[in-house]
Amino acid sequence: MVTSMPRVSFTPNLRRHLDCPTVDAPGATVRAALENVFAGNPRLRGYLLDEHGCLRRHVTIFVNDAPAADRVTLADPVGEGDDIFVFQALSGG
Amino acid sequence: MDLDFTEDELQRYSRHILLREVGAIGQAKLRAARVLIVGAGGLGSPLALYLAAAGVGTLGLVDHDVLELSNLQRQVAHATARVGQRKVDSAAEALRGLNPEVKLELHPRRMDAAAARELIPQYDVICDGTDNFPTRFLLGDACHLLGKPLVSAAVLRFEGQLSVFRAHEGAPHPCHRCLNPEPPPPGLVPSCSEAGVLGAVVGVMGTLQATEVLKLVMGIGEGMSGRLLLWDALDARFRTVRLRRDPACALCGEHATIHDLSAHPG
Repeated sequence: MVTSMPRVSFTPNLRRHLDCPTVDAPGATVRAALENVFAGNPRLRGYLLDEHGCLRRHVTIFVNDAPAADRVTLADPVGEGDDIFVFQALSGG
Repeated sequence: MDLDFTEDELQRYSRHILLREVGAIGQAKLRAARVLIVGAGGLGSPLALYLAAAGVGTLGLVDHDVLELSNLQRQVAHATARVGQRKVDSAAEALRGLNPEVKLELHPRRMDAAAARELIPQYDVICDGTDNFPTRFLLGDACHLLGKPLVSAAVLRFEGQLSVFRAHEGAPHPCHRCLNPEPPPPGLVPSCSEAGVLGAVVGVMGTLQATEVLKLVMGIGEGMSGRLLLWDALDARFRTVRLRRDPACALCGEHATIHDLSAHPG
């Protein structure tokens, strides 16, 4: 059996006010990997997902530097070595 | 296109004209260009200085603020002696000293929907150097609806982001709402005045922004449309992610719901 272990990382401005270091999290989809991250960090879940479990509108997820296609069920498949990057925009100028 | 240059122009721009990708034709394109810079602050300072130095023919500057001492740690177009002046006037003094050939159009006003409707159509390229999400979303919407390319950068602390949006040209170009459908709720992402910013980071991002404007005007190189550059200065890492045009986008999608600027103040 192959272990599915993508890496989950967060944009620095998220890391500043949420406890979200880069981690390897098991899961065959973006949602499964993120749920494993959220298991130890419920505050992060509330920041990234709304009450329906959908990605909040100001957050974007990239898988291997391409935008995840599914913002609702987060069903994009991921596997070992894949890179899940959680992004939000800045406004400073 | 007017390819006649004075002796002074040939000297001033000689290092540009030597570049095969620029040459006299590229320099003439820069001289004919009209670029609007919204925000004469941290990003707007290096942006305006490099565009003026490069010989962009007309620069418009929009800013309603007055220069404060706390600006000078990063806003390098200004000077201590000009604290208290309007930023557009202070920046204009620096730009005229650098290149008096550039025509400056100063707009000491807040960028609201009325200003966007009036000013954006007058320019070829729009640059976002603002410091808040409402104005950034206004500019993104307005540039798309008015058919102008937007060169956008943003900063916070040790971090920078840069992209170019030209979705009005059609697929595959994404618009700003394909990346960020909505701004974050107020207060969620701090501003530079709340969280701080390293001055040199703003300088790098404004200079990258200027580089993209020059490429866009001259039509050289690979543009940033469809890509987002991220820089983490503390980790000394650049990263480029791909952006995709969203068919369901409220601004540029097949069933777009945003057709005017009525949702924005002004």
